[in-house]
Amino acid sequence: MKNKLKVYRAIHDLTQEELALKIGVSRQTVIAIESNKYLPSLGLAFRISKLFKVTIEDIFLYNDKEDHEN
Amino acid sequence: MNIKKFRQIRTAIIIFVGIIVFLAVSLNSYLLAAIGVFTGMLFLSLVRAKTKIVIDERERTIREKAANLTYAIFAPTIGIGSFLLLFPSYSNLSVFSKGEFVYLESLGMIFAYLTFFLIVLYSLSYFFLNKKYSGGS
Repeated sequence: MKNKLKVYRAIHDLTQEELALKIGVSRQTVIAIESNKYLPSLGLAFRISKLFKVTIEDIFLYNDKEDHEN
Repeated sequence: MNIKKFRQIRTAIIIFVGIIVFLAVSLNSYLLAAIGVFTGMLFLSLVRAKTKIVIDERERTIREKAANLTYAIFAPTIGIGSFLLLFPSYSNLSVFSKGEFVYLESLGMIFAYLTFFLIVLYSLSYFFLNKKYSGGS
């Protein structure tokens, strides 16, 4: 699973700390999501998409072959 | 108070308690050690209550995985440990004849009961959590 969180964060001119505060997680979690080391829960994914006013699919890109193994 | 400040205060409290316990052991005063540890715990809980610590889902996932790994390592270790400690007592080897290594047998029994308790606790937690997160039918 890849994501465009960094791109959307840059578009909205938010720092990692600010984004973390807005979605109720720690800065380390934002860093981990951006670097594809942690997959957010469905609830957190919804919170992120709601914040940027886009759909989940716009931010998180599901790769059928890669993600099926996880 | 943020997490950075909390960590600094926590380190200071740990150092303070360490010094008190060291002094108490040097002076052979168990009461002082107990008071030192109790005061440290009290201060730590007060500071923790004042701190805004974000425990998010990633942190919870890490804790779950760490707990799982701890169980996976600890349970077999003490299980095998108890067997190895109890085995000589029940074997016919003269060097391990009953009475010579009684403390090993006692330790083995403690480990065995600890393993049993751990497995029972895990099974009970699994049973209730499985019930909680099941479909309900």
